Amino acid sequence: MLKTESPERPDALTWALLALGVLLLPVGLYLALAAPPDVNQGYLVRIMYLHVPGAWLGYLAFFVTFLYSLLYLFRQDPRYDRLARASAEIGLVFLGLALVTGMLWARPTWGVYWTWEPRLTTTAILFAVYVGYFLLRGAIEDPELRAKAAAAVGVLGFINVPISYMSVKWWRSLHQTQSIDLTTGKVHMAPEMLQALLFNLLVFTLLYLGLVRFRGFLAALEERKEEA
Amino acid sequence: MRLRRTGGLRPGRLWAARRVWLLALRDLRLEVRDRFGLLSVSAFLGVMLFVMALALGPDEGPLRRAAPGVLWVALAFMSTLLSTRAFALEVEDGTLEDLLLTPGGKEWIYLGKLLFQMLLLLPMGLLALLVVGGLFYLPLERGFALFLTLGLGMLGYASVATFYAGLLSRLRGREVLLPLLLFSLVVPVVLAAVRATVGLLEGLPGDEVAGWWQLLWVFDVVYLTASTLLFPLVMEG
Repeated sequence: MLKTESPERPDALTWALLALGVLLLPVGLYLALAAPPDVNQGYLVRIMYLHVPGAWLGYLAFFVTFLYSLLYLFRQDPRYDRLARASAEIGLVFLGLALVTGMLWARPTWGVYWTWEPRLTTTAILFAVYVGYFLLRGAIEDPELRAKAAAAVGVLGFINVPISYMSVKWWRSLHQTQSIDLTTGKVHMAPEMLQALLFNLLVFTLLYLGLVRFRGFLAALEERKEEA
Repeated sequence: MRLRRTGGLRPGRLWAARRVWLLALRDLRLEVRDRFGLLSVSAFLGVMLFVMALALGPDEGPLRRAAPGVLWVALAFMSTLLSTRAFALEVEDGTLEDLLLTPGGKEWIYLGKLLFQMLLLLPMGLLALLVVGGLFYLPLERGFALFLTLGLGMLGYASVATFYAGLLSRLRGREVLLPLLLFSLVVPVVLAAVRATVGLLEGLPGDEVAGWWQLLWVFDVVYLTASTLLFPLVMEG
């Protein structure tokens, strides 16, 4: 996923991924709307086709940021920092989307906008960590220090995810008052629903890859302008 | 006051341990002599606990139930305040560069500052525990177990706080950035520490509380290791 030096325009792979993603998006939408409604939730379940890919992308993106942050700390190559930052940016958008759609989904199905469920809480924490990531980047002017500091947050923030998840899970298991479980497992998935979901996951992933490459390309242009 | 060179500067584990200890002692000496820092943090702690007791009281029941949460929130804020002091004086006096230029890796700086933090936080934590015990009607039996919880929790908190304080020490806006970056990471510590405290105060047997201690221990090990490894990388230049 590395770009060549001084790119003048995004390369073919980037355009291909973006084009494929954008073209397949309406197909995914059609599949999502054509799939049968859920036994319990009716048509409400359709928000899942947006919510689950969003959450998947958020976590994938931050994992990628974690990897590139580690790479940067070992190799000090600015390309790694650009890609880590690009991935974090896109991840933040999609994770935000997942949180909002999750809340919209929760209100009619559970009756509340929010509950202290392990997955939700961990997602909110992760969101906060990466908001901090960008605020930190904004506060540092020296590019090298900025990249290193951001990389440290990228690493520390991600290793927090499993620990946070487990701690919230134990915390919640003490009080079994609410046994609501937001999971697609509770949704008895007809084959068409599963197919639509997987297809949308694929489309979103393609879009993600294209967007990260594109954003990385933009970051390279920005850096070149700064140096000039 | 500068770190006294004690003979040669041979790298090596034992030597680094000595440096860690010396740095922590030096900082502790400075802090105790200065008094401003310790006094203001103690005052902050007292006022905060007092206000929370007023807000949640005066009935014994609600106060007792809220007490562990209040204790750990107060400790969290206190740790954040203290952690800035770990590096504040260095930056003011310009001695941070001196420390960073000492040959033989930089991990010992982080560990020395962390030890300094712990040497301050543990007594302050005890003080907080006593004040909370008084204001919030907490029965303070099982002192050793409570102290262990304090230690594990403070270590987890301080390990991240010291790292970030060092990272941010040369930036403006660090007062706002530090809590923001810190709080999102230390959620597991606060959760586990509060749960462990609640368990101890409710008289739960050790095995049940031990689960929370285990979580604290895991957090401590993971973040101590990660911060020690990352500290030299982010403090260069």
